[in-house]
Amino acid sequence: MTGVAGIWGRLWAIALNTFREAARIRVLYGVLVLVFGANAFAIVLGEMSIHEQARVARDVGLAGISLFGSLTAIFLGVALLYAEVQKRTVHAIVSKPIERWEFVLGKYLGIATTLTVLVALFTVAMVLLLLYQGVTVSGAVGKAVVLAWMEVLTVAAIAVFFSSFSTPFLSGIFALGLFVIGRVTPDMKAALGSEEASATIKGVLSVVLEVVPDLHLFAISGRTLDGQHVTVHGDFVSWGYVATASGYGLLWIAGLLALAMVIFQRRDFA
Amino acid sequence: MSEPSDTDAVISVEDLAKTYRTPFRRRRVEALRGVTFQVRRGETFGFLGPNGAGKTTTIRVLMGLIGATAGTARILGQPVPSRAARQRLGFLPEQPYFYDYLTVPELLDLAGRLFGLPAAERRKRADALIEKVGLARARTQPLKKFSKGMLQRAGLAQALINDPDLVVFDEPMSGLDPIGRKEVRDLIHELRDAGKTVFFSSHILSDVESVSDRVAIVMRGKIEAVGSPRELAGRTLLGVDVTLRIADPRGAAAEEIAARGDRVRRGDQELSFTLAADADVDEVLAFARERGAKVVAVSPRHDTLEDLFMSRALASDGGRAAGAEVQDGGHLR
Repeated sequence: MTGVAGIWGRLWAIALNTFREAARIRVLYGVLVLVFGANAFAIVLGEMSIHEQARVARDVGLAGISLFGSLTAIFLGVALLYAEVQKRTVHAIVSKPIERWEFVLGKYLGIATTLTVLVALFTVAMVLLLLYQGVTVSGAVGKAVVLAWMEVLTVAAIAVFFSSFSTPFLSGIFALGLFVIGRVTPDMKAALGSEEASATIKGVLSVVLEVVPDLHLFAISGRTLDGQHVTVHGDFVSWGYVATASGYGLLWIAGLLALAMVIFQRRDFA
Repeated sequence: MSEPSDTDAVISVEDLAKTYRTPFRRRRVEALRGVTFQVRRGETFGFLGPNGAGKTTTIRVLMGLIGATAGTARILGQPVPSRAARQRLGFLPEQPYFYDYLTVPELLDLAGRLFGLPAAERRKRADALIEKVGLARARTQPLKKFSKGMLQRAGLAQALINDPDLVVFDEPMSGLDPIGRKEVRDLIHELRDAGKTVFFSSHILSDVESVSDRVAIVMRGKIEAVGSPRELAGRTLLGVDVTLRIADPRGAAAEEIAARGDRVRRGDQELSFTLAADADVDEVLAFARERGAKVVAVSPRHDTLEDLFMSRALASDGGRAAGAEVQDGGHLR
């Protein structure tokens, strides 16, 4: 099998195997139970907050997708390539007719598939909760879910990038650090415009803003966009915004995976 | 000893060098220092050497797992690393590590997919190979429940899923019991009979000697000798082993006869000894017959691969360590 069909066949083989591996990780089922539990707890919270049941349900559901999805992406991603090299399972794979970049991309597709299934299940939990509360599932919720999904996939690419050259522990710290920094970019931009910040701090912040993905774009609810307050409970972003933010995420994913591929290509598997 | 032309060569390695840096002290370690050899189409080629000699490093360069610092390597006419060449080869890594959550059919399915085999073909070949390596009863067990020998068998099966022209086995007998080792030897013979080229590394001298058409001995990152086991080992007559039947192997007559040789062994009405290579065998046999002994066997004693290996090993610094690791029966650890 040659050409595009051949490449796709090899990518699918690696992705399927990575999905199989992830599906056997019991921690993921724990995360799933946790998210369903959090949604159930939202019912209790909703009862305590008069007339705010719908708001609580949406907030808890979306936060669950974004936060637990991203943490799971880091958990799965940081060991993705490193473990293959350490356990030498990569020896029997890259000695077969597969290019190393195909292996990296296949591994990412496998983890992305796993995370997509998880995000879908988290969404099901949220929708069930909303239906239980008698709340209509609006288009805004759909847009927020797509944005959260893109954030999770971007965070996974960050973790995979670090995994191509670093230990899971360090990769976890780096990826978590970037996730947190990426979420507070508006505050960093504000500090950059502040007169109180020193030139050194401004210099550091401007560099950080250049090299860190702006994850805040995916968690836009409750923020101000072009002078307008946007919220998933009311006026939310357009589908055009979702497409642009997704394109931004895909560019970061492509860039990070390209770097991971270059690093992996140059590595010796001793 | 003639080297094959480039068109005959399935593996061609020239002046291959690999230098590592140790992680913290950044000390240079020369794993390979100008390795050169060729493997001909259809032959079984043993790559022999003690631990740390450079066998696995050479194989990893050939498989594209690590890059060479200098030199060239070609497999099936393609420069390493080449996807086209890997399409036609099968590889068993040293101490194979596979995804331990997979079953053997799943492992073979994954390998088959990477070779682009259609689903029906993958299933057919997997079933045949599982049967061939004797894992039919374990086909539903995950690999994490496999013994070392079973993992080795699974590794052999995945190396053959694409019906390769060239098979590369890194220490295929490692971890196997005598029955398992014999089965691997039989498998190598079978592959050779089917016209495959087999390149395998080992530190088990007897196994290399029994299955290889040609052998390369590698020591401290350099090839010390290349040739058939007979060419390499059988050149020098070391002595002549003589076995006699005699009424009293501990009597005065037996003592007189035994004094003509050394390495004397006595059994029930049997006396064995070894004569020097330049001894007059006819004269000694006549002397024995005069004293009532009957000749049972006379056989020349040549160098073995082990003798050659040991002499080369002891001649090099690294070999002293290797020599110290030699076990009875010519096994190295």
